[in-house]
Amino acid sequence: MNRHLSMRSGNPALQSSTFRNHMSAVSEGTMTLSGTVNKTGIGLLLIILSAGYTWGNPAMHGLAIPAGIIGFILALVTVFKPQFGHITVPIYAVVEGIFLGVISMIFEQMYPGIVIQAIFLTFGTLGALLLAYQSGLIKATENFKLGVVAATGGIAILYLINMVMGFFGSSVGVIHSNGMMGIAFSGFVVVIAALNLVLDFDFIEEGVEMGAPKYMEWYGAFGLLVTLIWLYLEILRLLAKLQSRR
Amino acid sequence: MENPVFILSIPLIVIVILSLLKIAKKKRPNGKPWFRIEKVEDNE
Repeated sequence: MNRHLSMRSGNPALQSSTFRNHMSAVSEGTMTLSGTVNKTGIGLLLIILSAGYTWGNPAMHGLAIPAGIIGFILALVTVFKPQFGHITVPIYAVVEGIFLGVISMIFEQMYPGIVIQAIFLTFGTLGALLLAYQSGLIKATENFKLGVVAATGGIAILYLINMVMGFFGSSVGVIHSNGMMGIAFSGFVVVIAALNLVLDFDFIEEGVEMGAPKYMEWYGAFGLLVTLIWLYLEILRLLAKLQSRR
Repeated sequence: MENPVFILSIPLIVIVILSLLKIAKKKRPNGKPWFRIEKVEDNE
């Protein structure tokens, strides 16, 4: 079991204490891998349908910021009350779909064809890392987790500083720059976001092994969705930087 | 950067190839690998 010590999970939603706090409620069955995969599939389907609908309806574009805020609130509710995951996670997927639909539309207008490329690379990364995890090529060892969590925390702090600087009309140059440093930074963030997927797989595997309650399937799916959305947005940003240099 | 998608796909392709090689090399519970190449004897 030591192999799955996810106390150092990069995703703040995924902590090993999460399972320990919910081990008493196993009367309705235990978490399974197939159940988590199905719920992740439902979440992804809702995101794609919602984003597709938003894409085709310009009237929905004003909802991007409210959707982002509601998504953030729902994420917090899911983290603190995973028992309500069967309600909060599907709604989270729908509102994030609205948010992603608008963001994608904006990028597509600036760089035609960029969205399909970003989708291809996001799911390509998911598939490649799932295969690497299954084969044992990439293992979520303690040092691996420590490295990914430290890097994720560093990126989060930098983004926070950037947000605060934004209130004063300034920003951290390297985040938005399309120079070599800016592209290298975006590439690094994409790699870290992708490696967070490995921590998510490990978290789900640990939950199944520990016999976590059934509702934790929604929680595991939620963790994967959060990482995939982050990865998609970072790939979109990296592709935009590369295309703006043409 | 002519085709960024192609360049960004290269590490993914490398990961997939390495993973498949690792799976192919993995031994099954009976101690035999997934496949092996051996000479076929007459009347075998």
